[in-house]
Amino acid sequence: MFVQILFYAFSAILLAAALGVIASRNPVHSALSLVLAFFTSAALWLLIEVEFLAIVLVLVYVGAVMVLFLFVVMMLDVNIERVRGGFIRHAGLGLVVASLVAAQMIGVFWARNLGVDATLGAPPLPDDYSNTRALGEVLYTQYVYPFELAAVLLLVAIVAAITLTLRQRPGLKPQDVAKQVAVRREDRVRLVTGVDAAGTGPGADRDASPRGGEGA
Amino acid sequence: MITLQHMLTLSGLLFALSVAGIFLNRKNIILILMCIELMLLSVNFSFVSFSRFLGDLDGQVFVFFVLTVAAAEAAIGLAILVVLFRERGSINVEDLDTLKG
Amino acid sequence: MTPTPTLASLAPALPEIWLTVAACIVLLTDAFAGRSARRITPTLTLLLLALGAAAILVWGQVDQRVDLFSGMYTADPLATVLKLLSFLFTAVALLYSRHWLEARGLLKGEYYVLVLTALLGICVMVSAGSLLTLYIGVELLALSLYALVAFDRDSGIAAESAMKYFVLGAIASGCLLYGMSLVYGMTGSLLLGEIAVAVQGQGVAPSLGLMMGLVFVVVGVAFKFGAVPFHMWVPDVYHGAPSPTTLFIASAPKIASFALAYRLLAEGLAGVEPAWGQMITIVAVLSALIGNLIAIAQTNLKRMLAYSAIGNVGFILLGFVAGTERGYEAALFYTIAYVIMALGSFGVIVLAGRRGFEADELDHYKGLHSRDPLLAVLMMVMMFSTAGIPPFVGFWAKLQIFEALWASGHAPLVVFGAAVSVIGVFYYLRVVKLMYFDAPGDLPVPERHTGVRFTLAINAAAVVALGLFPQALLELCQRVLP
Repeated sequence: MFVQILFYAFSAILLAAALGVIASRNPVHSALSLVLAFFTSAALWLLIEVEFLAIVLVLVYVGAVMVLFLFVVMMLDVNIERVRGGFIRHAGLGLVVASLVAAQMIGVFWARNLGVDATLGAPPLPDDYSNTRALGEVLYTQYVYPFELAAVLLLVAIVAAITLTLRQRPGLKPQDVAKQVAVRREDRVRLVTGVDAAGTGPGADRDASPRGGEGA
Repeated sequence: MITLQHMLTLSGLLFALSVAGIFLNRKNIILILMCIELMLLSVNFSFVSFSRFLGDLDGQVFVFFVLTVAAAEAAIGLAILVVLFRERGSINVEDLDTLKG
Repeated sequence: MTPTPTLASLAPALPEIWLTVAACIVLLTDAFAGRSARRITPTLTLLLLALGAAAILVWGQVDQRVDLFSGMYTADPLATVLKLLSFLFTAVALLYSRHWLEARGLLKGEYYVLVLTALLGICVMVSAGSLLTLYIGVELLALSLYALVAFDRDSGIAAESAMKYFVLGAIASGCLLYGMSLVYGMTGSLLLGEIAVAVQGQGVAPSLGLMMGLVFVVVGVAFKFGAVPFHMWVPDVYHGAPSPTTLFIASAPKIASFALAYRLLAEGLAGVEPAWGQMITIVAVLSALIGNLIAIAQTNLKRMLAYSAIGNVGFILLGFVAGTERGYEAALFYTIAYVIMALGSFGVIVLAGRRGFEADELDHYKGLHSRDPLLAVLMMVMMFSTAGIPPFVGFWAKLQIFEALWASGHAPLVVFGAAVSVIGVFYYLRVVKLMYFDAPGDLPVPERHTGVRFTLAINAAAVVALGLFPQALLELCQRVLP
């Protein structure tokens, strides 16, 4: 009973958050609603004992993807009024589409000849069951081939994102890591001897200013 | 007791909301991208519930990969968005009208 | 537990392993070689592709179906042939593109890396034994293509078409995934072989959940093919992308689309063939009709060829409609023939331009005959062949489809196909008329790169040779399909 109450509460929050994503006036609010949607989904997945993916959903989506989204939303100064205009015009159509899709899908899921018995609860798991362990055991054995391919996929994303957005404009002052690493003590610090501290302190500081890093 | 029906219904509602969002926000690309994330979330819901209620781990592994792919996809999508913004100074869909015919 | 794979047991997966290594080699060479040494990247890529193809021929061939990686990877003669062809088509596309990229300052190593990863995605799809690998292959190809379309960062239309491609592609992936999740839920497995067994077990009246999954899957497949009504991206992407990218998209990825449809529909979901057959029929008929009709109204050659691609995809799907052995053979024959012709015609587009002049409007081809007779002849061969005029290979491709449809009792579709082909002849011949009978005006003369023009000539020769002796390709298609 308690689980059921939790389920309905989280479901309500999830659907409200999803509604917030598609209907709020400001893209930042949409992004934050999406974060809420992911958090509630994680909670729902915890309810049905899918722990590992629930954690990964929060880590990957909220931690990485949504931060990227927020970053881009704030970087691109979007003219909200212009972009949002016409929302009301499409609202009726959107409502019709949403209810049609929802009605069809629910109709299928509640149909008697769905194909599986959907009215059963989840099969109970043994006491010493560890979701993470079970996934880990198949991920690196049975699923090693897609796992390697996923690595290539991430490489593609890195190469593509850098190719598309990295620009070497004049006037930028990027770090040159190789130069920074290769710097030696003699380049940075000059020990001044035999003069009294009061007169030379500032001068010595100036000489010791970094040359390797910024000068690129 | 939570049943498969509950979870699938939730997934279907999320899917419908995301489709509606794509229809509603036809002018703002960044919102369309968010709706696509919402759509993938509904797919993940469906996979997770089938996997858990059938007692078969494969669906959960699939979700693991969908998450990976979605992250990569979001990175590339936003990169294209940035390129587009630099070229046009706008991410309004109505300004994407050069290609027609 | 699965047994630890040995090096020898991994041999059938050689193409994928080799491509991953090749992409890393090209990426690292390009990153660490000096500015002048970077010019070797195109040659290096072609060399790696040639070596890979040779290695597949020597070590990677299989006589019968072999399942690797717990059934997620399928190696069979069909996969080997499709992969070798993809290697070949990609290499030819890269060969045509080099001078175009160089002249516009786009000759970067990343272009070649992304083409290699796209090719890897194609190979993964061709060899997919489970829904998971199929999906990862689809995404590997799609993500690489999105970046390749947007590759010319200073071109506004390239970014615009990339954005449209990305948004529509991501929605289609979502639909495909939802369909896959339902198929998984109804059959309880991700492996295509087990899905086929489970679907067979459901008998003639498949469950509602499976049917809904099927609808979503067909939407995803139709999008990847660029078939009507999910074709909106095709003209914009073909038009907006840099010409070498268009050339590439028109070539090897079509093989991947065939593989996707074949593995998913003809192998995994064979048991519900009547159900998806109906949907594919609608999609195929609409594609053939709308593609060929709208192509007439185009003034841009890349756009016109995009609609022609939609029309041709309609014909490939008609092969699937037949639903018989013969139909799949015809679809495979058509796909290979179409890709050879598309390589040729987009190759001419790439070669006919020069820096600051994209030869993509139809008017740019006025009097091409007097400016560059060789290109004009090659383009004419391609246009005649794509139109389906004998004795070129395009004629046999259409004939194969018609024969398969006839044999499976789809006579009305044969009549329809023939009628649509006649419409198509009109706009292909218009290009020939422009090249040979219109005044040239003061358009620039294309640059002449001997090696590339020689390859293009071989490409055209292949169209003629396969048209005169189609038996070789036909037997190949018959041999590799079980």
